[in-house]
Amino acid sequence: MTQFFQQLINGLSIGSVYALMAVGYSLVYSIMNFSNFAHGGVIMFGAYFGYFFLKLLKFPFPLAFITSAVCTAILALIIERAAYKPLRERKAPFLYFIISAMGTSIFLENLIIAIPAIGPTFRTYPEVFSKHPFKIGELAIGRLDIMMFIVSAICLVLLIYIIDYTKIGKAIQATSYNIKASALMGVNTDFIIVAIFLMGGFLAGIAGVLFGMKYTVYPQIGGITIKSFIAAVFGGLGSLPGAVVGSILLGIIETFTSGYISSQYRDLIAFVLLIAVLVFRPMGLMGKVTEDKA
Amino acid sequence: MKRKVIVLSLVCLFVLSLVLTGCASKPQQSASNEPEVIKVGWMGSLTGDQAVWGQCEFNTVKMLFEEINAKGGVLGKNLEAIGYDTKGDPQEAVNVAKRLATQDKVVAILGPNASGNAIPIAPVLEQAKVPDIATVATNPKVTVLDGKVKPYNFRVCFIDPYQGAVAAGYAADVLKAKKAAVLYDVGDDYSQGLKEFFEEFFIKKGGEIVAREGFKTGDVDFRPQLSKIKAANPEVIFMPYFFKEVALSANQARELGIDAVLMGGDGWPSEQLISMAKEAVEGSYFVNHLDYEDPEVQDFKARYKAKYGKDVELNGYLVHDAVLMLEDGLKRAGEANSEKLAQALETTDIKGITGKIKIGKDTHNPEGKDAAILKIIDGNYVFQQKFAAE
Repeated sequence: MTQFFQQLINGLSIGSVYALMAVGYSLVYSIMNFSNFAHGGVIMFGAYFGYFFLKLLKFPFPLAFITSAVCTAILALIIERAAYKPLRERKAPFLYFIISAMGTSIFLENLIIAIPAIGPTFRTYPEVFSKHPFKIGELAIGRLDIMMFIVSAICLVLLIYIIDYTKIGKAIQATSYNIKASALMGVNTDFIIVAIFLMGGFLAGIAGVLFGMKYTVYPQIGGITIKSFIAAVFGGLGSLPGAVVGSILLGIIETFTSGYISSQYRDLIAFVLLIAVLVFRPMGLMGKVTEDKA
Repeated sequence: MKRKVIVLSLVCLFVLSLVLTGCASKPQQSASNEPEVIKVGWMGSLTGDQAVWGQCEFNTVKMLFEEINAKGGVLGKNLEAIGYDTKGDPQEAVNVAKRLATQDKVVAILGPNASGNAIPIAPVLEQAKVPDIATVATNPKVTVLDGKVKPYNFRVCFIDPYQGAVAAGYAADVLKAKKAAVLYDVGDDYSQGLKEFFEEFFIKKGGEIVAREGFKTGDVDFRPQLSKIKAANPEVIFMPYFFKEVALSANQARELGIDAVLMGGDGWPSEQLISMAKEAVEGSYFVNHLDYEDPEVQDFKARYKAKYGKDVELNGYLVHDAVLMLEDGLKRAGEANSEKLAQALETTDIKGITGKIKIGKDTHNPEGKDAAILKIIDGNYVFQQKFAAE
């Protein structure tokens, strides 16, 4: 039984990291209908920003957290302006957006490697939270995991609040239903796109810092986001609650597969699940019906 | 509009081709200007997970070649190092080996450090008849396949069976452990090899393997596997993989409240292991190629530090001996001919800084090299004893 709850905690903790990353994919997808693969690169930069502010500039932790998120928000916006806006203006097919996003992702990873002061080596965050876990009987819960879970929850609730209850949120919803009609109705869709990239980038920064604190920083961090992308598709691309539910479920499925069947089947089962979802419910668990999901 | 794009892309293509051909012709130019050089290839990770080691290796090679050249070179010629990045990727390793052997026409290749990269390059070497001296590639298959020795693959390190056996022997005989668990990388030859031989020898010594869990290269979370290992309650957990995963899994093991002794192989020692997981690996043991405080290595350690301002990583010591082996082989071959060099390497019998290197003709491994057991105390690698598995 202890084993069961310990694995459940492990799964929740892994799932909450996926969730923070997955909503970034969903946000962009809901408006622009393509998967922003550059998101992984932005998360990686978030982890490096956090390292830079904490370790080298010795910012207090909350300040480092916020400044990293602001920096990645700006980075996400720069990417939008440089890599997507020109395509948008030319009304390029969505495939081109995806290619551009993949290119940006590879570019970001290699940019970090090419900067001599950063390079390909690992960086370790200074210890902000003690490594000694809370203990409930035999159960061990890491302090950082609790923090990650709380921060993820706050961010996601805040995000869902913004989308559902504010004016800009309404505008985002309208744009996600029909970008042309919203523009005709007087919504400044260009501003909405700026807003979602800023929000997605901000969350990427937070995810990056949390990830860096837990697993150290290195240029290939972005690779982990493939899992959160799966989670986003699983939950329903374009649906924020779907992304969260999909991520938590994926985290739990992964840990239970590793814990009770075999760790070698983990990815096998995760990917079979993705294909199964796409075959039987192409819109994902909570997604709206759309035609293409690339 | 469309025409503009076409013209633009043509211009891009033109510029790109200029840049590319410019790059490729560089080594050839320097060769024609100075005919009196022996070109030696080096391959390894300059980027990616194991970049720290690769960079140290290549730095060492360059430093030693400079020193050798300052003393008049080998056979009256200067040594020139041509190094390429494998990114730790087997496919890339094959490409690099092809490029070194066929385009750069090197006399021999040093590296790569990883077994997973050293194994697939054998056919390339055989075709080009260029010998390779691997540094820390400890998998048996690097030099011997199906009982037959590969004619152009050599190495300066001991092999996995030996390392796994040493770790198992030490755990059973010295630490008196009866129950061991193994966590290993299912996608890596090195890790698989160590795991197999650890299990075999530990069981032979009367111990029991209570849990064996795998993960995949690139994973960062090991808690599901570790939770399972914790439930099996082992005295020793064998972790035969590289320092990044070691640091992460050791931290996570301690977080889960596992207090078993951790053990590993030569994938452990690195400055970064300590900076990432000082507390978690405290009191752990690992098998290594040498004792860092051994008087034999101090001179090299100091020279490297003086030149690069950094400490030598494990790979530096091994590639140092690979260079010694190459120098000795070239001298005995009498000319810079890769086939003659390969023959000469077969009868190598030199004293390196990591120990005696007497190459076995049927294995191309250094025979009877001692392993060192190191313990991590206060973030330092403290030599325990030399240990040979029987």
